[in-house]
Amino acid sequence: MEATLPISAAPDVRAAQPKQARAAAPSVSLPLRFMLTGLVALLGAVGWIIARPSILASYHYNQYVIAATHLVVLGFICTVVMGAMYQLVPVALETKLYSERLAKWQFVIHVIGFVGMVWMFNVWDMKQVGHFGSALALGVGLFVYNMARTLWRVPKWSIVATAITAALTWFSLTILVGLSIAAAKCAYESTEGLATAEGVKQVVGGLQVVAGIVSRFDAIGAMHAHAHLGVVGFFVMLIVGVSYRLIPMFTLTEVQSKRRAALSILFLNIGLAGAVVTILLRSPLRIAFAAIAVSGLVLFGWELHAMLRARKRLVLDWGLKSFLVAAAMLIPVCLLALVLSWPSLPMNQSFGMLENVYGFLGLFGVVALAILGMLHKILPFLVWFGVYSPHVGRAQLPLTSQMVSERAQAGGLFAYLAGLLVISIAILRESELWVRVGGVLLLASLLLFGWNTFKVFSHFRKPQLRPLPSTKPAVV
Amino acid sequence: MNTNPPTEAVVLDALRQVLDPEIGMNIVELGLIYDVRIAGDEVRVAMTLTTAGCPMGESIRGGAEIALLNLEGVSSAYVELVFDPPWHPGMIAQNAASSSV
Repeated sequence: MEATLPISAAPDVRAAQPKQARAAAPSVSLPLRFMLTGLVALLGAVGWIIARPSILASYHYNQYVIAATHLVVLGFICTVVMGAMYQLVPVALETKLYSERLAKWQFVIHVIGFVGMVWMFNVWDMKQVGHFGSALALGVGLFVYNMARTLWRVPKWSIVATAITAALTWFSLTILVGLSIAAAKCAYESTEGLATAEGVKQVVGGLQVVAGIVSRFDAIGAMHAHAHLGVVGFFVMLIVGVSYRLIPMFTLTEVQSKRRAALSILFLNIGLAGAVVTILLRSPLRIAFAAIAVSGLVLFGWELHAMLRARKRLVLDWGLKSFLVAAAMLIPVCLLALVLSWPSLPMNQSFGMLENVYGFLGLFGVVALAILGMLHKILPFLVWFGVYSPHVGRAQLPLTSQMVSERAQAGGLFAYLAGLLVISIAILRESELWVRVGGVLLLASLLLFGWNTFKVFSHFRKPQLRPLPSTKPAVV
Repeated sequence: MNTNPPTEAVVLDALRQVLDPEIGMNIVELGLIYDVRIAGDEVRVAMTLTTAGCPMGESIRGGAEIALLNLEGVSSAYVELVFDPPWHPGMIAQNAASSSV
């Protein structure tokens, strides 16, 4: 006897072409090592703000400001983003990571590079910054190569793949510009005695040429261009592009207008390219390019809103709420970007502090919060996958939402937002005391995040498996 | 020992034990089951995933087979993953969507 079940919404599978399921993602230990390292770096950065609040409460570029900024950007954001990309890019683009082994080597080189860079920025030894920066650049090269080979395998190109490719391009350029700025601040007198044919002398000669070119530009302008390349080109580009895949996956919806999504990426790229050049040249045209980039983000917000309205999963968890709040933080950041790129803006103390707020909200309000929101989703999933995937169908398993404390997640988000608000006001008032208070709020938020991370990881030690009711009678 | 083959409803109930751990819905409510065929003590299921790159694909497929083999009257179960046509949110069962977590 044969019985078939035509499911109402199901297509005719007799005509369907079966495909082999692909083991797309790497082992869970790969992204986890990046993410945990990144969280330690963030904890260190917030601790640094509490210990030395002048980093944010005063407007001048000193060694501590630059060291702490690189700890956040390279130590936290880049590290977590790289780990997440090794996990999510193959899943989102339905392909396979090119080389997990290469990624493991890149992790080691990246950690050596960023730790050394932050340390050397802190003691202001620019020559060693350049050396550790070169190690970091080698790691970034391996990362970009691994991702490029992964993208090469993508079966069907999409707007998400375009955004990731653009982000990787901007990231490579950020590193090159950063190294060039470091080279411009170095003197290599000690190489004068080297023979011309020696490789070291040739490399140093190349660095001196680059340094000569960079020195023609305004030093602050070069640093601002470097920062925008990295933060907008790499991080914001990824947030926008990957949202078109992750928001549908997590909320059970679809992109509502592919044209709108594509235009958002296009405008962001055009705006950024023009903004970087005009920032570097201190051109009054930068307001025009800032406006183009902002229109790209407006389109992103529009599409995000449309996707959420069409979602099938009505209740949003705290991870998604954090991510959406981070996306909403783009509004004040974009307004500040437009104000600060206004032509002939007087460069005084007040606008200097406004620049600090812009940088702080851009990094902590948008990028770091978006990452923390996504980590609320990714960390439980990775641990669940590592612990429970062999038991699917064999036992009753916890949901990822049951692996965390929602109260801790909610408390963490509110403490984080309070910290952002307090620090932003403290920066404008140049109050070290209130920067410290805001730092303590951020720290409280991170400790709640850490508590949830501990709860999630405790499943490795003590899995929660319950027997399934079986309908098969015991054999007697 | 009862050797009657299971009904479609019983097969679907068994598959409802397999959940998407992130979304909190089972694979039947999600509309991932495309076809069920029962022939004696053998059950064949064609199912899809929400995305072809889903890292859980193999464990969900294997888990669905185990859930079927736990049924009385089933001695062999085959679950095949198909991706044509691709899944979309419109395939989610209406009552599941409205009460989704």
